[in-house]
Amino acid sequence: MNNSIKYTLFASLLLGATTKAEVPTFTLEIRDHLFYPAQLVVPANTKVKLIIINRDATPEEFESYELNREKIIMGGAKAIIFIGPLLPGDYPFFGEFNPKTAQGLIRVEN
Amino acid sequence: MLDAVLLILREVLEAALILSLLLALSQKLHLQFRWSLIAVTIGTIGSWLLAHYAYEIADAMDGTGQELLNAALYSVVILSVIALGLFICPLAFKSHLENNLTQKKIFASPSGKKLIYRLCIVIVSFSLAREASEIWIYLSAFTHDTEMLSSALIGSAIGAGIGMSLGASTYYAFTFMQKSYFIPVFLAIITLLAGGLSMQIAKQLMQIGWLDSATPLWDSTFLVDEHSWVGELLYALIGYDSRPAPIQGIFYLLTITPVVSACAWHAWQLRVKTHE
Repeated sequence: MNNSIKYTLFASLLLGATTKAEVPTFTLEIRDHLFYPAQLVVPANTKVKLIIINRDATPEEFESYELNREKIIMGGAKAIIFIGPLLPGDYPFFGEFNPKTAQGLIRVEN
Repeated sequence: MLDAVLLILREVLEAALILSLLLALSQKLHLQFRWSLIAVTIGTIGSWLLAHYAYEIADAMDGTGQELLNAALYSVVILSVIALGLFICPLAFKSHLENNLTQKKIFASPSGKKLIYRLCIVIVSFSLAREASEIWIYLSAFTHDTEMLSSALIGSAIGAGIGMSLGASTYYAFTFMQKSYFIPVFLAIITLLAGGLSMQIAKQLMQIGWLDSATPLWDSTFLVDEHSWVGELLYALIGYDSRPAPIQGIFYLLTITPVVSACAWHAWQLRVKTHE
């Protein structure tokens, strides 16, 4: 019993530490099936929080093979995605529901 | 329209392959196929519900609802696959005569059969619900534009058709296989498949910042690109990831351990017996 309380506390501390630590935040918007800005520069070797706001009425799926991320963002909704720590380089992403227009790039720099 | 074909194919492929594998197992073990109708019905209704409540799900738990629910759905499928693997495992390590006896012992009992049916229903319906909910959400974007909707629907039908024919081809390829080969191949595939799904759980948890991503273990994009057809097929079948994070590797190994150890144990038992 005592142990389980300890573990729970430890786990919540760990979770708290990861979520509460200062994580640089960047915002992307989806408008008319396009990402704004289409290119985002983020720091290397750092965990980064992306906030993606879908201003369209239609749903979109943020997807990136390079970042290993995918998330559906319903029309008018906001989504949070954590990425990194990443090595310097270019990481393209796209909207899976509108792959021809909705394209962007995350540039990771030192 | 091509976008719709590719998107629906990607979503349908995994569920279709899982369904055809389990149907092939049913055929080899002389079980009924009725479970598949139940599974597809539950999966379709489930997918519609997931799509219908997508806003609420995404908003839940401080915006991590989508990832946590996906992780939960993946976990249920993985546990069922492991249970099925452990149940089938003895059949792979017996001589032909013994095999028939074991099979009779396991499957003649109604509870054994029932367990297999239940596991198959859970595996297929949960996989289908998760995958197909994205199709409903995708199509919902076109409800106000009839011309685009019909184009998207035609694309979806073609994509679903290709996915199902690939599933059917897989089924026939497996049913033509001799039973003594089929069981080990089946075990290997479902074990790797469960491992691949567990990597998706790790990915969901990294996405919401609960787990930290690190430099990928490797980058095999030059070998098999995830965008490519081979990549998509390997992804659907064994969860191929061209840039897995180390934590994903740990999830994979932990997931394949139970069935791999059970197989090793049965193989060792067989060796001991044949030496006696």
